[in-house]
Amino acid sequence: MTLKRLIDNLQDYYMLAFRGLTGIFRRPFYLSDAIEQMDYAGAGSFVIIVLVALFIGMALSLQLSAEFSRLGLRMYTGKAVGITIIREVGPVMAALVFTGRVGAGMASELGSMVLGHQVDSLRVFGVDPVKKLVTPRIMSSLIMLPALTIIGDALSIFGAYYIVVFVSNQSGHVYWRAIRDVLIFENIIAGSVKPFIFGFLIASISCYSGLTTRGGATGLRQSTTSAVVLSIISIIISDFALTRILLYILGFSV
Amino acid sequence: MIKFDHVSFSYNKRSVLRDVSFLIDSSERVAILGGSGEGKTTILKLILGLLRPDSGSISIDGEDITGKTESELRDVRMKFSIVFQEGALFDSLNVKENVAFCLREYTNLSEEGIDRRVRELLRVVGVENAIDLMPDELSGGMHRRVAIARSLAAFEPAMFLYDEPTSGLDPVNADIICKLIADLSRDRRGFIIVTHKVYDAMRVADRFIFLKEGAVVLDGDKGMLKQATVPELSIFMSELNGNCEGEARCSK
Repeated sequence: MTLKRLIDNLQDYYMLAFRGLTGIFRRPFYLSDAIEQMDYAGAGSFVIIVLVALFIGMALSLQLSAEFSRLGLRMYTGKAVGITIIREVGPVMAALVFTGRVGAGMASELGSMVLGHQVDSLRVFGVDPVKKLVTPRIMSSLIMLPALTIIGDALSIFGAYYIVVFVSNQSGHVYWRAIRDVLIFENIIAGSVKPFIFGFLIASISCYSGLTTRGGATGLRQSTTSAVVLSIISIIISDFALTRILLYILGFSV
Repeated sequence: MIKFDHVSFSYNKRSVLRDVSFLIDSSERVAILGGSGEGKTTILKLILGLLRPDSGSISIDGEDITGKTESELRDVRMKFSIVFQEGALFDSLNVKENVAFCLREYTNLSEEGIDRRVRELLRVVGVENAIDLMPDELSGGMHRRVAIARSLAAFEPAMFLYDEPTSGLDPVNADIICKLIADLSRDRRGFIIVTHKVYDAMRVADRFIFLKEGAVVLDGDKGMLKQATVPELSIFMSELNGNCEGEARCSK
């Protein structure tokens, strides 16, 4: 890809992402489309998030219990699990699951609409495809990913509780007290800003990849793959950047 | 009136249309013929402003549309009704919702009014029984007919644009679509049909534009089409000549 093409694509992406986001505040409001997308993104991803979160929490707890036992620091397992899940693992894990299921779905759906001339039909009927297709998807991601992250965090903590109490034979009372101590404003803010950013990135990148699909089934495969790959890369990079910024703003010393 | 003035267009540096010029009145019945990838569909998209030409200008009713923005093109697009290849129905909506799409967007009709209008349009195209079906439950012919009904729903187009309306259809369904195209153009509303099926084109159109390597190599009536000496066109015409029954029906 030439540099000029890359810059053109980036410019097109920024325009689409901006128009898709500001479309939330502009008429007409396609609320039924947004609700349909929320059902697909939220309710549809619920079971996967439950499973993944539960087992991530248990695995994390096992690792930390094993290491802290060697160091004689088992009482800190709850605190370490809580901080790791709320600030870091919970938002990233939910975003990655969301990318695999919802982002890929968005790209392939919009891609097939492009190839089937459905997007052209919308334009001919005088309907703005960004308003009708992109805005509801961004809106649903902005609402559903934070909600799924909260559910995922809670389940990871419960999964970790099971390991701490029934496998590592630690006190459940101590574990919950450690978790309660972790649930302070700074940690909650650090963990709850990320899903909004991730949700916006996943939806806008996936919609852009879908709407720029060209060239039949191969093109559809490429756009779906690029939606997932670019979303994952942007999640990981923005997670690092956000962590650095949030730690600085919230006054944590590194 | 559609005017193409020395229009050229390329996709990713691949030249699709080269210096194409023509004038089509909105009451004309025109068929654009040519092989795959010769730029037939591109012409329809250029007329609607879905694509922009690399050079040259396109005017609709004397108004140059080449530099118009998406919102400015809305009025231009409302002059036309397009039926894309395969129908381009919205997958997530059933037949009723597909046909009602523009009615909901642009009219204040009540739910009863929308239902009445949708049924009326589906009756015109002969698929009223399919009202509750989803697009993937329709046959190819039904797809096209529902798409025609949808394109008629909210606007009164001055001209119809059909992109390969009979491709992939059996002769019975192709016949139904051709009759429907002819019926809809009775009140002096013309159409442009893009196809590679000469037999269907000759049944409905009066004027023929043949594209070869993105350039217009023939623009004339049935007589000129039959007498043309372009080698590729002769191959196209062999489809017609091989079909004696088709000949008889065409001349009728």
